Amino acid sequence: MIRLALLVVMFAPILGVRGAGAAGDSVASTFVRGAGPAGDLIASTGGPAVMLAQQPPPQQQDEFIPIDELPAQDQLPAAPLLVAAYSFVVLALFAYVVSVGRRLGRVQQEMERLESDLKRGGRT
Amino acid sequence: MKKWFMPAVIVCGLMFAIAPVLIAGAPYESTMGLVQKIFYVHLPSAWTFLLAAIICGVASVRYLFGGAARQDRLAWAAAELVVLFGAITLVTGPLWARKAWGVWWQWDVRLTASLMGWMVAVAYLMLRRYGGPGSDKLAAGLALFGMANVPFIYISVNYWRTIHPTTNVVPTLPTSFGVPLWFSAVSFLLLFVLLLRVRVRLEEQRAKLDAMYLSMDA
Repeated sequence: MIRLALLVVMFAPILGVRGAGAAGDSVASTFVRGAGPAGDLIASTGGPAVMLAQQPPPQQQDEFIPIDELPAQDQLPAAPLLVAAYSFVVLALFAYVVSVGRRLGRVQQEMERLESDLKRGGRT
Repeated sequence: MKKWFMPAVIVCGLMFAIAPVLIAGAPYESTMGLVQKIFYVHLPSAWTFLLAAIICGVASVRYLFGGAARQDRLAWAAAELVVLFGAITLVTGPLWARKAWGVWWQWDVRLTASLMGWMVAVAYLMLRRYGGPGSDKLAAGLALFGMANVPFIYISVNYWRTIHPTTNVVPTLPTSFGVPLWFSAVSFLLLFVLLLRVRVRLEEQRAKLDAMYLSMDA
């Protein structure tokens, strides 16, 4: 029963209750009061509107903080990203040039071997 | 190799040696600072990626309708370079974005279409490698989709919501940013031409080797 009362309180705004002081507020309170002592406690606090009002408001920003004064964990250094980008470019290009060179070398070797085999075959 | 090849290699090497000096001397961009210098490799590699996709597509069309093996070799070589320069673009971009945008990746049209273009090229290469007989024609058809994707990648930033800069940024760059960019772009273009030539040469040699084996069997 207490759980039901809590659910009603939580979903009261969705069920047509539009803010504190509206007719819906009393509907929600009626449901809650029927839930026993715990329901009375919740209802006496004024329902969801009061519960929301009791949450601390988000802190307002009243100053600008220079980026170099940010705590270390919030700063994102640019140099490692830059170095990573340029390193990747160099490595990728180098790897590709080496790969093409090796493939070309292998084909050339095979051609030479085949030519020598053909010559030998022609002689015999 | 052709007569122009070695001088071009030397010029390209010199340009890649000078480019870092120009990039280091370029001013810091006001909001992004140091990390903006990734721009000087990211954008030229992206342009080269798109150029390679266009060359692969055009050569594939010519192969499909003309049947010349030379065009097929060119398309295959260009597809490999789509993968290479696409990988550079897709890696350097997120490294820049992490600092500039606060995220590694955004599923906006340009990024998604670029990834798709890169994946089409990977599919092309896998088809050529493992597809068996007839895969050359299938791969050529696939390359058409890769080429059709290029205009979307380029103009998408002007038509869809994205945090990517529009295509108006480059033409309006001040000289201090423009000189290193265009120098880097020409260096990448020259490198692309050289790599394409070497890669086509590899395919030519392979074709010769196949012809030799066939003549032995005959």
